[in-house]
Amino acid sequence: MMSQHAPPPLPDDPNRNVNALLDRELLLVTGKGGVGKSTVAAVLARAAAEQGKKVLLVEFESISRAAPLFGSHVIGPEPRQVAPHIWAQSLSAMDSLRYFAIRQLKVPALVHLALRNKAVEGFFRASPAVRPALFLYQLWTTVEEHGPKGDHHWNLVICDLPTSGFVAGMYAIPNMLSGVFRTGPVATYAEGMRALLRDPARTGLTLVTLPEDMPVVETLELRALLLERHGVDAAAVILNAVMPRSHDVDVLDALDRAADRDPGLLGPWRITAERIANRRAKALSAARRLREMLPPNTLITLPWRFERELNLQAIDELALALRKGVA
Amino acid sequence: MKTPHPIAQLPVADVLRRARLIVACGSGGVGKTTTSAALALQAAMAGRRVLVLTIDPAQRLMQALGLKTVLGDGPPQLPNTPLEVLPRLASQLPKPLPPGASLHAMMLDASVAAEQMVERLLGDAANRQRVVQNRVYRAFLPTLAASPEYFALELIYTLREKGQFDLMVLDTPPMHNAIDLLHASNTLSSFINDRVLKWFSKIPLPGEKRGFSILGAGNSMAMSVLGRLFGRDALPDIAQFFGAFQDVLPKLRDRTQATDRMLRAPDTRFLIVTAPGETCLREARHLHAELMEQAMPFAGFVVNRVLVAAQPPPDAAQIPAIAAALEAAGLSPMRAEDAAVEVLESAQDLQRLADADAQHVQSLQHLAGPDRVCAVVVQRDGDIHTIAELASLGAEIAGAQDLDADRLAVLG
Repeated sequence: MMSQHAPPPLPDDPNRNVNALLDRELLLVTGKGGVGKSTVAAVLARAAAEQGKKVLLVEFESISRAAPLFGSHVIGPEPRQVAPHIWAQSLSAMDSLRYFAIRQLKVPALVHLALRNKAVEGFFRASPAVRPALFLYQLWTTVEEHGPKGDHHWNLVICDLPTSGFVAGMYAIPNMLSGVFRTGPVATYAEGMRALLRDPARTGLTLVTLPEDMPVVETLELRALLLERHGVDAAAVILNAVMPRSHDVDVLDALDRAADRDPGLLGPWRITAERIANRRAKALSAARRLREMLPPNTLITLPWRFERELNLQAIDELALALRKGVA
Repeated sequence: MKTPHPIAQLPVADVLRRARLIVACGSGGVGKTTTSAALALQAAMAGRRVLVLTIDPAQRLMQALGLKTVLGDGPPQLPNTPLEVLPRLASQLPKPLPPGASLHAMMLDASVAAEQMVERLLGDAANRQRVVQNRVYRAFLPTLAASPEYFALELIYTLREKGQFDLMVLDTPPMHNAIDLLHASNTLSSFINDRVLKWFSKIPLPGEKRGFSILGAGNSMAMSVLGRLFGRDALPDIAQFFGAFQDVLPKLRDRTQATDRMLRAPDTRFLIVTAPGETCLREARHLHAELMEQAMPFAGFVVNRVLVAAQPPPDAAQIPAIAAALEAAGLSPMRAEDAAVEVLESAQDLQRLADADAQHVQSLQHLAGPDRVCAVVVQRDGDIHTIAELASLGAEIAGAQDLDADRLAVLG
């Protein structure tokens, strides 16, 4: 009998998971080094832009990785449109300090004077907590003023964060600020930042990982740490570089038997097929492990590509693959 | 283009034999931690007393050094304390450890290190009490973990003074630029420098009657700026925090200058750890340029995870022969042909990666020049799980040469 209703969604529908992720105001993309954070941030930006969303892609304290991708050599502190519906911005701690100071003091001349003061500069530059605090301040005001609750200049802000340590530090900032400043403007900001970071409907913590033992373990640990210390769970875990193909068992067996007879001819063929099959098996087991440990509908997979440098076309193909899933 | 220098002539082994401090730097995810552990183990197997210090949460290192099985699954109980790895695990090594050799591992907890340093610096108990109770200090302390570079150097310097180790290997946090490490000591002393202190010391402390009027015009304006930034009521705590450091500033400065000298010492060596890929390559070049500009003792590159394709490369011309062999091994004729075509496609895909990697290695060899190392580590199929695997990795990085304990000599 045909039902009038759409069939209930599959327990893990990648397309729905992606849509739910992109419906937020702010995505914080993080993970251990080398897992492909910047690639994932760009893929998410293109996927959101494809839906007609206006996206701001923000990088902090890094050599811009978005710049070579979007063929734009100068991505700096001012948001700049780099593709249809996509703006990019690359911030340093000093950029965020200037932003903060100008907003507080209103008089740019005073800011330049204050920032010329070596003591002020030394204080801001060197204090370890100040960098993530300034960055978070800029991110927060940007989302509040220009996001869906503000003038709607951007529907989504996607933030490519430097390291997983940085994101843990960033979540600690509101409490640190409330500890130092009990009243006054900073105390108010701390409240606002905390509210934004802790609201799962507004901010999506996006953890990127690879199908290897340690990255999977470390991702689960980072998730547990943020959940325990700050009550924030990952909106999505993106398993990157999943080997999308394999060679069937009967083929591997036949290669094995044939290579035993003629290792000179078949040896390299066997090694090749085994490598691919092993990578695939490892990716599937990583996906299984993550699904077991994570809340339902959290895992999103992205296929491995046989390229060392991804261009915009590759990013777009990944954005399509994001909605299909590969494991 | 210059012919790349043969790798075997300048093995990392040479660096391991002579350096007293090896700083492994590079962007995240290139295998710095594992490389550092493998290098440290290699040097220990050559007869040296070695310490490897890691700033990362260091799961990899702990796993590779077998510390997880000893300490359970959590982090080691004693951060900032060298923990002996060898000779405890020496029985798993391919050959016995030379007499006198040892390997220790240490994990850095920057907030604990900061606390210890502050307590050491603020000798006077009353002063220490004031600082420890100051809410600025207490709020800042946990956040120091976010910039662990300085405290790593400080710990290494302290251990160096004790002379317990011949070689220390520092696994640095992921860096986009070397500036973080090179300027770590400057940064700390500029955070707590004369001007900052003088300036903050003019803010009246709680209970003091002193007003802003006694300040010079520039200072009172700066004070008003700070007041507008943060709210005036937070200033006294900030002032007290900095005030407490006034007496210890010269001590701190001596110390930071000493760590800075240590980084530039003739027996210190920087290794840039990297991996194939345009992004890694770009960042390795950037780091290299910075080290050169700062005239730091750069020893070379370690290029991890270089893909080497199966040899000889599978070729389309072989398809009929492969299909026939697969058919003889039990596949149907059609399946055999399809399988051969599919595997050929995989082989060509992998070959493309291998070609790209070879080019990246060549470009780094060129950058390293004839006087520096460029060690290539072939991509492995699995993670490093045992100390024996770590030893084999170390041997590969070191240029597969046997280190000769008799030839140990300290540079400079």
